[in-house]
Amino acid sequence: MLEISNICKVFKTKNGTTYALQDVHLNIKKGEFVVLVGPSGCGKSTLLSIIAGLERATSGEICKEGRPILDAGPDRMVMFQEAALFPWLKIIDNVEYGMKIKGISKQERREKAMYYLRMVHLTRFAAAYPHELSIGMRQRVALARSLAMDSDVLLMDEPFAALDSQTKNILHTELQQIWGATKKTIIFVTHNVEEAVLLADRVVVMTANPGRIKKEFRVQLGRPRNIEDIDLTRIVGQILSELKEEVEKVAKEELDSDWCLKSNSFVSRPDTNLGNGI
Amino acid sequence: MQDLSIPIAAHISLQRLLIGYFISLVIGLLLGVLIDRIKYLDEALSPLLLGVQTLPSICWLPLAVLWFGLGEEAIIFVIAIGSIFSISMSVVSGIKNVPPLYIKAAKTMGAKGLRRYTSVTIPAAFPSIISGMKQSWSFAWRALMAGELLTPTSGLGYVLIMGRDLHDMNQVVGIMFVIVVMGLLIDRLVFGRMEHAVLYRWGLTKG
Repeated sequence: MLEISNICKVFKTKNGTTYALQDVHLNIKKGEFVVLVGPSGCGKSTLLSIIAGLERATSGEICKEGRPILDAGPDRMVMFQEAALFPWLKIIDNVEYGMKIKGISKQERREKAMYYLRMVHLTRFAAAYPHELSIGMRQRVALARSLAMDSDVLLMDEPFAALDSQTKNILHTELQQIWGATKKTIIFVTHNVEEAVLLADRVVVMTANPGRIKKEFRVQLGRPRNIEDIDLTRIVGQILSELKEEVEKVAKEELDSDWCLKSNSFVSRPDTNLGNGI
Repeated sequence: MQDLSIPIAAHISLQRLLIGYFISLVIGLLLGVLIDRIKYLDEALSPLLLGVQTLPSICWLPLAVLWFGLGEEAIIFVIAIGSIFSISMSVVSGIKNVPPLYIKAAKTMGAKGLRRYTSVTIPAAFPSIISGMKQSWSFAWRALMAGELLTPTSGLGYVLIMGRDLHDMNQVVGIMFVIVVMGLLIDRLVFGRMEHAVLYRWGLTKG
């Protein structure tokens, strides 16, 4: 359904040109849950913005059902790291906003907004303003707002990164249920590998400088998945080892040249060093 | 016999003030939006606006008298010109400071062009626009007083200058008192409420 071909994105800055994305190819099937993981600066969020139509690729093309994507549109809803709710609108009006733009009648959009607020369990707060809700609740509203648009593609840019881990766990479970119920194509960006394996049908590992796809992992585990599942942990391990050199590569570029990660080395503690000074 | 000169003068002054302020509100908002939308206008006018804003509005009075004659129109012109620029500057800076995330969210929900502008950009800039409106309201008062003091017509300023001419300091201080009370009332009833509503929605009120 989504064909991403030959995408390049170049940023020109004072310090020279950065290849945020280079020759990215990816095909995404209808109803698939794809998660992009990678070290910071690998262009995963940029790729998502290009799919959303919020940014333009320097070269290459993304087609949705055969038609090239040129602009942002309500057929590809985006959830950001922050909820991005409008503070001057009540929760219910925030959920209705997109439908209002679409031109759906008042009665219908109120019903639909309430339906999706029920799905995220926040009907009690329909008349509240966004600042009266916790960050996790706001993110739920953002999810309801995205779902209410009936887009077939849902793009999620680290939507749970700012949440505490308990809230995150609950939302992971609910997102899987909602995905199962709505059959949407979801592209999810995260730097958390466990989150990726927990949610994804397919995990796409990206590398930085230049940003490109390194490897893909299929996750063929039953749902609902459990974070403590041994098969899940095994896949997480595989992906982490794939990512490790990437993370180190990025760190080496950012930090002083004498930096290196000492792994598996003995942690010396001066106060328990028995043989010292003999 | 009852002396009604203060209520009559207050009524006349308030009327002028409201007309002048309303004109400046309309033109100021339009000018602000135009400056934001048209890049050439921004580059050409923004530095100029800052300069013109430092010019006390009363400096416009001689020109206003030449253009409109000694009377109502001249004072209203001075009021309007005194507050237009602070409104349009607050509109421009408010729009410039709208979080890009709101615009992105609106874009993905299919909001385009004018619709997006009126339903997201302007409301998001509202806190800044309100503070500009408040500031320009006090500019409007100053312009009104200056105009009335210098053109012998009517209104609170005229009654004040008459008190000076008659060496009647009771009258002068009385008028000053009336102006303070009116300013306070309008701030409480209009701007205070508007500001409170906005701050509440944005979650910026304490307690």
